[in-house]
Amino acid sequence: MKLFALAAVSIASLMAASSAAWAQTELRIAHQAGTESAKVMDEVVADFEKLHPDISIKQLVFSSADYENTGLVTQLQSSTPPDIYFQWAGYPVERDVKTGTAFDLTGAMATDGWKETFQPGLWTAGSGTTVDGHIYLVPTSVGVDVTLWYNTKLFKKLNLDTPKTWADLMTDVKAIAASGVTPIVIGNKEQWPLGNWISQIASRLVPPADYEAAFNQDGPFKIPGFQHAFQLLKDLHDAGAFNIDMATLDQDQGMATFFQSAAAIDPIGWWLVRPKDQISDPDFDYAQFNTPIIDDTTSNKDNVSGSGEGFIVNAHSEHKDAAIAFLKFMTSAENQAKWIAATGQSSPVIAANVGANLDPHVAEIATLMNTASSLTAPPDTSYPLPVARTFYQAAAYVASGDKSPDDALDWLDATLKSMGKQTN
Amino acid sequence: MRRKSPERRTGLVGSGAVNVLFAAPALLLFGTFVLWPLGASVSFALTNWDGYNVPHWIGFDNFTRAFRDLSYLWSYAHVTIYVLATLLFEVTFGLFAALLMNSSKPGYSLFRTLFFSPVVLSWTAAGLLWTFVLDYRTGLVNATLRALGLGSLAHPWLSDPVTALIALSLVSGWKYSGFYMIIFFAAIRRIPQDVYEAATIDGASTWQQVISITVPLIRSNALVCVLFAVTGGYSAFDLFFTMTNGQPNGATDVPVTWILKQGIAQNQIGYGAALTLILVVIIAGIAAIYSRSTDRLRVTQY
Repeated sequence: MKLFALAAVSIASLMAASSAAWAQTELRIAHQAGTESAKVMDEVVADFEKLHPDISIKQLVFSSADYENTGLVTQLQSSTPPDIYFQWAGYPVERDVKTGTAFDLTGAMATDGWKETFQPGLWTAGSGTTVDGHIYLVPTSVGVDVTLWYNTKLFKKLNLDTPKTWADLMTDVKAIAASGVTPIVIGNKEQWPLGNWISQIASRLVPPADYEAAFNQDGPFKIPGFQHAFQLLKDLHDAGAFNIDMATLDQDQGMATFFQSAAAIDPIGWWLVRPKDQISDPDFDYAQFNTPIIDDTTSNKDNVSGSGEGFIVNAHSEHKDAAIAFLKFMTSAENQAKWIAATGQSSPVIAANVGANLDPHVAEIATLMNTASSLTAPPDTSYPLPVARTFYQAAAYVASGDKSPDDALDWLDATLKSMGKQTN
Repeated sequence: MRRKSPERRTGLVGSGAVNVLFAAPALLLFGTFVLWPLGASVSFALTNWDGYNVPHWIGFDNFTRAFRDLSYLWSYAHVTIYVLATLLFEVTFGLFAALLMNSSKPGYSLFRTLFFSPVVLSWTAAGLLWTFVLDYRTGLVNATLRALGLGSLAHPWLSDPVTALIALSLVSGWKYSGFYMIIFFAAIRRIPQDVYEAATIDGASTWQQVISITVPLIRSNALVCVLFAVTGGYSAFDLFFTMTNGQPNGATDVPVTWILKQGIAQNQIGYGAALTLILVVIIAGIAAIYSRSTDRLRVTQY
């Protein structure tokens, strides 16, 4: 009898344990992370799991390049796709909506005033977080993709002012080149660093409708605005502006060259910012200026190159409520403040930035974003990737002196024609 | 006692059908990991699949596009130059190294080990190592030139379209000539010594012995080495990817780096699959033609 009772108790406890296991929800989150952001994410995940013992979170973490090239696509195609995944604002969000992968978060955003906790500009049509007025991306970061970082000590030594116009920039470039220092370093091995910059330049010179048409393959690139933009690149090349090894230097090596004072300017995004203790020369100092005005008659004359990134809830997830709960938790002012403290980046959550101890350089670019007359996202987050990458290649031809602006644009139009209409 | 008569085998065993059962595990693995992916590649190649959207059948559009894709066509020119260079820097140099190090005297074994050692490195590690060595600003090559007062010769080796492919071929030679050296060395050691002794008695010089005895008798090994170099060269990837990834401006793009850019980096999986199939057909074709045309040369007679 005793034995029978013992067996009954054992079976009952086993059943209880297994029902607890069934009640446990596993949220899978695919994202890219650097060392600092991975630490904060781990902390946020641990805090969330403490608050929600019925939810466990499995992170699928990739490096930036792996995530963009293979990580996300393989995860989405797998038999256990992520419930939440990192995504860049703009074209990828549109694509995910089209493929039915992105869940419409408009309703969730409307509850508890979640939407109002973010900067209002993030919900405008050009921000890349919405499609047809519906919200699909929860932004966790918004930043400048191109600004011209410069070595302040070197500028002072050469008695140079930060340029206000393109002509001023050319004057500075010539003076720097004459001093024996490389004026502009670009680590262009992957071609997007120069591509992002020339896109900003072109977006100021090409009428918006023509710019849009060209990147959507509805119109040619060989039009006066793009010719002007490419001519400016050629002028820079002819003035000896660029590092001779730009084609095989990657972006990290480019930034290292800048921090070693071997070049005066590095046109790249917010991620150049380094804490003081990570720079080998303690006297090194740097600041930034936006691409100077090229033509003050155009509508986009002083636009800023910038874009956002964040997280999407998978429309096929069986745990959408848990996924939304996690994203709400992640974008709370408290957690975003942790993010700022660890990474030095500004946050798209308004309350998180109030009183935050931002790196002065981050504060500088946050101001640039906040005062921008308009924001233009780089083509590789706004248009079909093959078109954007071919455009970047054409720009690289001109900057290296391999092709004239007209030849490069002819090559670009011919290549896109042979490629056929791209939709991905 | 009645003797058992030899049993006539019937059924599965008799017909030999049981052999299929024995081969089944291997066939299953081969089918799952070779045939099925190959079939899937063929079906992807006929679609516009981007990895995200539902693939749509587009017939042979990807293949016709490939023959209009100048960057892809140029990549074959680059890889052909590279293959020719590997025949020189890897196979020929490997042969010379084997001839020079063909000795049982003390120290030669160490030389052979040192010469072979880069072969055990991964191509990626070798590529990264040489990227640092050839770096324009801080690399060992340019730093040495500057230290010797030859700063004017310092050059962006990997960023100049003229020198980039040569530099890659040289690194490839450094990395892999040891492999061919070992093959040739083993083949040379197999040649009977009395052949050389007879030649020496006949008054043949060392060089004459190399040309008239060694080279003809290792011909079949040389043909295999050339096949390895050519087929391996056309599918080269790791070194190119780590050192230049097609730069400067496509001057070092080889078929596989271009396929990776199209298929993975630009989300054109259908197009990438079509480019891959074309490459497979080309490599298989070269290997088949080469094997057929060299069949008669493989016979070695002592």
